[in-house]
Amino acid sequence: MSINNLVSSLTRLSLIKVPTLIRNVSLNAPMLFRSTPVLLAEPLKKKKKMDPAIIKAREEKKKKKIEKAIRKLEKNARKLKPISECEIPFEILDTLKNRQRNLPGISEEILENRALLEKKWCRYKREQHLVDMQMLDRIQFAQQKALDELRKESEQLYQEAIQPDLMMMPYKIEGPVETPPIENYQSPDGDYNDVSKKW
Amino acid sequence: MLKNHFQLLKQSCNQLKHVVSVRTQAQNTTNQKWDLFSAVCLERKPVVTPALTEIEKEYKQYLKDLEFELSVKSNFELRHEADVKHLAVLKEGGEIDDTEVNLKQTAQDLKDLWNAEAAEFKPADKITDADKKNDLKSLNRKLDKHLIFVVNQKLGDKKLYMLPQGLRQDGETLRQVAERVLKETIGSELKTQIYSNAPCGFYKYKYPANIQQERNVVGAKIFIYFARYLKGQPSLKGIDYKWLDRTELDKTLPPQYKSSVQQFLIDE
Repeated sequence: MSINNLVSSLTRLSLIKVPTLIRNVSLNAPMLFRSTPVLLAEPLKKKKKMDPAIIKAREEKKKKKIEKAIRKLEKNARKLKPISECEIPFEILDTLKNRQRNLPGISEEILENRALLEKKWCRYKREQHLVDMQMLDRIQFAQQKALDELRKESEQLYQEAIQPDLMMMPYKIEGPVETPPIENYQSPDGDYNDVSKKW
Repeated sequence: MLKNHFQLLKQSCNQLKHVVSVRTQAQNTTNQKWDLFSAVCLERKPVVTPALTEIEKEYKQYLKDLEFELSVKSNFELRHEADVKHLAVLKEGGEIDDTEVNLKQTAQDLKDLWNAEAAEFKPADKITDADKKNDLKSLNRKLDKHLIFVVNQKLGDKKLYMLPQGLRQDGETLRQVAERVLKETIGSELKTQIYSNAPCGFYKYKYPANIQQERNVVGAKIFIYFARYLKGQPSLKGIDYKWLDRTELDKTLPPQYKSSVQQFLIDE
């Protein structure tokens, strides 16, 4: 143990609290002796010199690993989940010949009637669409008129009225259905088996 | 700096203009004072689908035929054919060496069984008791039609069936008035939903001359809000109300009021 260390430990023992790291100039009572504290450190170790070729090889390895993972992910992303309902099972494809109906041909008259019916249907749907559009216009106009009238009465009430209605979301609606619900209907027992495949 | 000042000046000028315009508006309204009402058009949507029209039926049948023609036989149909063949062989005294064939319960037997089970289930009738009794107060009437809620109200010295309505108090928005009116007339048992903060229809009428002078109010402006019935059966006592479909509404409402109500309703 060097003398310096010894002195330093002695200063720690002293009752007067003296900040150790401050070296100040004293004007009245002279400070007799001071010492710098021990630095808790050691000289830096010399860095090991690595072969640059090895470092390069390691980096390359890392890179390859990541690239492989990315490729794997991309490959899976491109593969879409099959919809079993949309694919014809092999069982049916194999026996397709047995499954033909071999119906007698459709007569000229029926084909003609069908063509006429299609045209009639088109006209019917078009008229329906036009009527719907006119109806929507009419409803929109009625609302605009109400809002205009409201604005004439009071700007403030108008501003309140054109605020979005947050109660509307989420919007849920059911029906209409084919037959009305039966009151107090007890559905027959049965199990619900979900057989859809997990992906 | 100078530019900034100039802009500020411009802004304050605009504000001044705005204030002036608001004032003139206010003057306009004070000259002609109107009572503001909110009314609620409460509608029950159809519960069941309406009957198909002639052409819809025809087209449906056509699509069904087409579907059949383009289809191939199903597994069940194949089984049925095989069963028929096997039975014919057995009848002639032949033998079937295939052990998997089960002729105790043929495809036809299964079909009959399922048909019998399906026939056992009776769906509810589209024509309800309320329809038979012509109960105008029931929500169970005319399931395939839109129904509108109307209340008998006293208007001056007349009593008319109209949409429930209420006068706006100070500090209320029209939507709040509509909500209050709904609650006051049908209570809270019936679940309803008002569509949007904006009114969907408008109607105004002038008061008779003596009331106009007495109260210094020209007339009433009614802003109609649209509401949808969600669920619940109300037990409404003490008020005279009806659930009406479009044609009945046409006969019941007062003529001019009717046209402004019908303007925002969906056709049937």
